[in-house]
Amino acid sequence: MDAPPFLRMSGVHKRYGGVTALAGADFAANAGTVHAVLGPNGSGKSTLLKVLTGVVAPDAGDVLLDGRPLRPKSPRDTLAAGVSAVYQELSLIEDFTVVDNLVLGVEPGRFGLRDARAARARALPWLERFAPAFGGRVPVDERVADLDPGERQVVEICKALVRDPRVLVLDEATASLRRRQVEVLFDVVGELRDQGVLVLFITHRLAEITALCDRATIMRGGTDVATVTVGEVPERELVELMSGTPAGAPGAAPAAERAAPEEGAAAPAVLLAVTDLAGPGLNGVSFTIRAGEVLGLGGLQGQGQSELLASLFGAARRTGGRVLLDGAPVHPRSPKQAVRAGLAYVPGNRGGQGLALGRPILENLALPSLGRRALLGVGLSRATEQAAARGVAARIGTTYGSLDDPVSTLSGGNQQKVVVGKWFPTEPVVVLMDDPAKGIDVGAKAEMFAVVRELAESGAAVIVGSSDDRELVEVCDRVLVLFEGRVVDEVQGDRLTEDTLIASAMHITQADVAAARTDDAASHLPDIDHDPVAAEQEQGT
Amino acid sequence: MSPPTAAPPAPQPDTPSPLARAGSRVASARMPTYAITGLLVVTVAATAMLQSGFFTAYGLSSTFATILPLATIAVAQTIIVLSGGIDLSIGTIVTLSSAVTVVLMEGDNARLPLAIAAGVAAGAACGLVNGLIVAVLRLQPIVATFATSFMFGGAALLVLPSPGGSASPVLTETYRMVLALIIPVPALLLLILWLVWRILRAHRVGQYLYAVGGSAAASYTSAVPVTRVRVLAYTLGGTVAALAGVALLADSGSGDPFIGNELTLGSIAALVIGGTRLRGGAGGAGGAILGAIVLSLIQGLVFFAGIPTDARELVYGGIMIAAIALAGLLTAGGPRQPGRTA
Amino acid sequence: MSAPVTGGPTPVAERPDRGTRARALLRDPVLVSGALAVLLWATAALISPSFASWGQVVTLLTLASFLGVIAIGQTLVIIAGGEGIDLSVGATATLAAIVASRYMDGANDNLPLSVLLALAAAAVVGVINACGVLFFRVPPLVMTLGMIAVVYGFIRLYTGGQPAGSAAPLLRTLINGDTVFGIPGVLWLWLALSVLVIWILRRTSFGWRLYAVGGNATTAYLSGVNPVAVKFSAYVLSSLFAGIGGLLLLGYSENVFLRLADPYMLPSVAATVIGGTALIGGVGGYLGTIIGAILLTVLDSFLRIVQIGGGEWGDAPRQIIYGAVLVVVLSAYGRQKRLRQ
Repeated sequence: MDAPPFLRMSGVHKRYGGVTALAGADFAANAGTVHAVLGPNGSGKSTLLKVLTGVVAPDAGDVLLDGRPLRPKSPRDTLAAGVSAVYQELSLIEDFTVVDNLVLGVEPGRFGLRDARAARARALPWLERFAPAFGGRVPVDERVADLDPGERQVVEICKALVRDPRVLVLDEATASLRRRQVEVLFDVVGELRDQGVLVLFITHRLAEITALCDRATIMRGGTDVATVTVGEVPERELVELMSGTPAGAPGAAPAAERAAPEEGAAAPAVLLAVTDLAGPGLNGVSFTIRAGEVLGLGGLQGQGQSELLASLFGAARRTGGRVLLDGAPVHPRSPKQAVRAGLAYVPGNRGGQGLALGRPILENLALPSLGRRALLGVGLSRATEQAAARGVAARIGTTYGSLDDPVSTLSGGNQQKVVVGKWFPTEPVVVLMDDPAKGIDVGAKAEMFAVVRELAESGAAVIVGSSDDRELVEVCDRVLVLFEGRVVDEVQGDRLTEDTLIASAMHITQADVAAARTDDAASHLPDIDHDPVAAEQEQGT
Repeated sequence: MSPPTAAPPAPQPDTPSPLARAGSRVASARMPTYAITGLLVVTVAATAMLQSGFFTAYGLSSTFATILPLATIAVAQTIIVLSGGIDLSIGTIVTLSSAVTVVLMEGDNARLPLAIAAGVAAGAACGLVNGLIVAVLRLQPIVATFATSFMFGGAALLVLPSPGGSASPVLTETYRMVLALIIPVPALLLLILWLVWRILRAHRVGQYLYAVGGSAAASYTSAVPVTRVRVLAYTLGGTVAALAGVALLADSGSGDPFIGNELTLGSIAALVIGGTRLRGGAGGAGGAILGAIVLSLIQGLVFFAGIPTDARELVYGGIMIAAIALAGLLTAGGPRQPGRTA
Repeated sequence: MSAPVTGGPTPVAERPDRGTRARALLRDPVLVSGALAVLLWATAALISPSFASWGQVVTLLTLASFLGVIAIGQTLVIIAGGEGIDLSVGATATLAAIVASRYMDGANDNLPLSVLLALAAAAVVGVINACGVLFFRVPPLVMTLGMIAVVYGFIRLYTGGQPAGSAAPLLRTLINGDTVFGIPGVLWLWLALSVLVIWILRRTSFGWRLYAVGGNATTAYLSGVNPVAVKFSAYVLSSLFAGIGGLLLLGYSENVFLRLADPYMLPSVAATVIGGTALIGGVGGYLGTIIGAILLTVLDSFLRIVQIGGGEWGDAPRQIIYGAVLVVVLSAYGRQKRLRQ
């Protein structure tokens, strides 16, 4: 560790218009290590790594790689220098086959004519290595458009690896991966480390850091605040470094501590009763939810949680089953009808589905309830709209400059609050939320959950789908575990813990989980026993 | 021709979902090709029935003589559209190139090579200008090429203020020649055009056209030289458009400063009917050539089917819209409603 | 990427400092085009003092009004997004003028009926455009380009190549008649339509939904908006406003010819884009389009005034300069995002 570091970035500055993304960040890492870069949203960690890969041009700062200065004009230069990256937003061409994507930009061939056989020869070893992540097959000639999100992410990783990197950047590469795929990736990363590759790893999942990383640099406010050796620092301290405040501040109480409905008091009315709901990805889902209740949808990722929410909202086809809303049957064939019936929906993809990013905050907040305040359903008054929007913003605690600023100027957490808050004026009876805390930082997450609880306390029924079991334990009264489009378990009260949820999700018993943990394969999975941090991480600021 | 699909993956008997996916992939990739092939068969059959002497040497020669210019300009537009652009000035590039060629040629066989070279160079230069404006100045292609269409159209007027000039006899005579009793020279040229396209497709540059049109951002992070590819696409497009200008000249025998302007619409219609996606990244020049053939034949059909003169334009326009809509239905794919989860 | 999250319940009012505001003004398309139009006009007035005369200004605005009205629908369609564009506005305007002129036949008797028929004909074009784009998923550019051929084909069949009739006297008076200070009626009509459109865009739920659909159609759909209905309306409105533009042209020129409004097809797109409405949708407004229409008209007149072209070179130099100036204006702000940030 005394030798000059393999990679050194110093004094990196970057401003976007009036917003400072990086304010003199320094960074150093050694070859043959897995180095985590941590920090809340907007801390500049992604920007820092994009400077390294040449996608972002820094305003100031130097990059030294293996003792040589790296001043990339474009990603071409950094790829030539041996830096490969897996970005959050995928860099795949959907119409191309997997092999064409893997060799894009580095096509083998003579006189510029592409050699298909050589391309396959380059791509196959990595695809075969990742075959377990593709469900056992090797999808060389499949179109990327035909793969599911997790598989695309794996293709993206293979694409970076085909370039034989000396530095591999993984920017939240595990976010959309299934457990099995994460396992393979972690194995490969371990091998790369042994071969002397530097792996830079951005993640929001603390457990992955302890499982995989050697060192960690914590970023906050556009600069680096600390670099630590992972094993030597307690996780609690890492969380404190990330959030900038001591852990343990009060937040939403975990389910077990929340007051159970008083005995003897009349149970609140059933707001939504779903019977045998079927559709694409759904094979007969039944459940009920009462007023004031927060119901979670858990289980492995992609078991029908998103489909269920979309189907209830009329955004996905329903082929069978009955839904009673407040006693009356509803069958919305479009979100428009669903909104009329008293439903609200927070989609899983904030930028792509939840917000018109270029439009003002005011318009985004007003959109679902426009007709309600308009004169004859047509004429709008700016003052009325602003008053309504301000009311919502105050209720959800959004920080903003002006209501006329594009919603894209808000931080991720505040954007997500707008996605939720825009439904308040429609006074929804049932609120459907698909992964409402995805990709927002620890502090914003706690605030988001407070909003969810508030919605429930105001008498609505809230259904929350999430791929993060901690979140479900944190915010829900009751969790349905889905598997292959069916409800396989219902967890509530004292049983509502992460361990139960994981066991239930895997469709196996608690004993099997304990047994599996002793396996080698499971040892680098997010370690669910290391729980003390969980509560603090969620509570954050 | 169609989006090239490599050999289908080996079927995996134990996992049905990849198989189903592969099936849907083949279907989705092939649909536009089926449609255009079907259209081609129908129009050729109808033409053969209605137009006596279609399959004679003279009939084929005159048919291909009118097809070649439209097909060439459609190929030029396809190269640009595949890369994610569009060129509304392409008709004026055709006009300018043919004007330059005819003015330099002065009906003299000896000056033919030089004149054609100058015409093609003019087309390439126009394409380069478009490419630089779109890729380096980063203007939206539609309005940028609309603006340059004034520049190129004006330049054509400077070179050739009014219809006139005459092509060299060698050019016009060669163009009307029929080889081996049945193969007209324009058909041969069309074949050569397609072969050159296949070489481009096999080349790295051809792959980059599709990549940049599919996703410029993804191409950029994959070390594809996006700006250079865009400039090159417009320059290649301009060059090919210039060849269309020469073909028009060979067909008509004299120059006209407005001749190519109407062809912009035709070029776009032909490529859409041929299954190229207007947003870029999918399709190909083969389909555009077939689309151009279909359009030309329909135009002839409307003439030979005994439709009253005043109704011809409407019938032709209606058939074209129907063909475009058909192609649109088959090419677009994807979810019908925004926001539907797959 | 932005201000750190604070949980405070009160919104923090931050005003951008003066420097950033000035820079924002410099990049405001409406201001840039407006300033350029005034600059061109002033230069032309220096060269040819008659350009500065009140009458000349009124003439310029009158010429701009036809483009301005035809570009209303273009603006709506482009804002609605999804690669929205309506290239058939020129043909539609011509169609409306030809239908109306035939029914008016130079008399006032059938004026209301002729106007209704003309607008109905225009609306049919809009409905076909909308169906093609929304239900057959034809790219708008291709659909509306193709409709040009269909509409002109129909005109050919309808007129037999010889448009009949002429404008009603009342329509002529309405368009050309002096009101005050020599301002012709058409300018008041343009003003009224402008106020209407700007009100629709800024103060109606349809307007806000239009921007939302253009900004992100999926979000709008998932917020209970019907994007298909919104876009459908945009295309029909586009054709209706094009039809109104055609009627104005009929009243102005009194007689019709086969390609009456052809020269407005692509300039309507240019005026819209120059005015700051981005082709990606969800951005812009009609005020910019007004300025864009005026700028294009002033530019054209300027090139005529300074007598570029018209001599032995014919029209050519004017065309070349017109195109070059368009490129320069567009590159002032109509540029797309850089790949590298």
